[in-house]
Amino acid sequence: MSAKSAKDRKDVTSTGSSRASNPRPSNPERPERTGRGFEIVLIAVYGIFALSATARSLVQVLRDFSFAPVAYSLSLLAAVTYIAVTIALVRRGRGSPVARTLCVAELVGVLIVGSLTLLDPALFPDGTVWGVYGRDYGFVPLLLPVVALLYMSRARRSGPAR
Amino acid sequence: MLSIVVVGLGGLTALLGMYYAARDLNADLVLLGACALAAAAWAVLGVALGLKDLAGGNPPERVTLYGYLATALLMTVGGGWVGLFERSRWGSLVIAICAAVSVVLLMRLEQIWPGGFA
Repeated sequence: MSAKSAKDRKDVTSTGSSRASNPRPSNPERPERTGRGFEIVLIAVYGIFALSATARSLVQVLRDFSFAPVAYSLSLLAAVTYIAVTIALVRRGRGSPVARTLCVAELVGVLIVGSLTLLDPALFPDGTVWGVYGRDYGFVPLLLPVVALLYMSRARRSGPAR
Repeated sequence: MLSIVVVGLGGLTALLGMYYAARDLNADLVLLGACALAAAAWAVLGVALGLKDLAGGNPPERVTLYGYLATALLMTVGGGWVGLFERSRWGSLVIAICAAVSVVLLMRLEQIWPGGFA
């Protein structure tokens, strides 16, 4: 890997993302300073879930809401939660109380909705995002808030170091 | 046939990204190139499916079909973009995750419209 091409690409991207929410010092000589570390993985996964849950819930709600109103409303709730966590992580970062509160709410939501789909299947003629603890998504919805909360509490204790 | 290419390139990008993350490497031109090839394959697949639709292929759920195609392309490109500005192992891991999810999306696509891949 040539250092020159890396620097060129760095310059291209820094001009491209000039409207980033938290302006960081642009110092192309030390690119590691702008890195977010593992946080970027959380943002990516939450972003993917925000996108897919929003798409799924919109299709469900717009197609025939009355078929399974509870399931579809809960899909919408999951989508809103994922969008909120993504925005909180992008803007405030891993140390923000907002992101942590939202992740706790997300975990509680997954547990309640997952249990509800098992205890009262009649309420759910159709699937919902958090149904059976996120089975449709390989149970990642159950795992994701746990990983995020563990990472946040560790980041909080050890300070800015990652 | 085309879907095999997409799965192959997506899988390759995912494995390569995981290898980079495990070895604590940031994304270089090899990983980004694999990511770009996977994105190009998705674009070609999207055009091919669109042509089949125009030719009267009649897919069962158009919204979902094109939604998945757009998501897969956006995600592959977005993963590469993250790999560009996050110069650490985590950028490589994001590329791997995006590529892996795009492979899952392709499998769902084949369930939605089996005729499109015949």
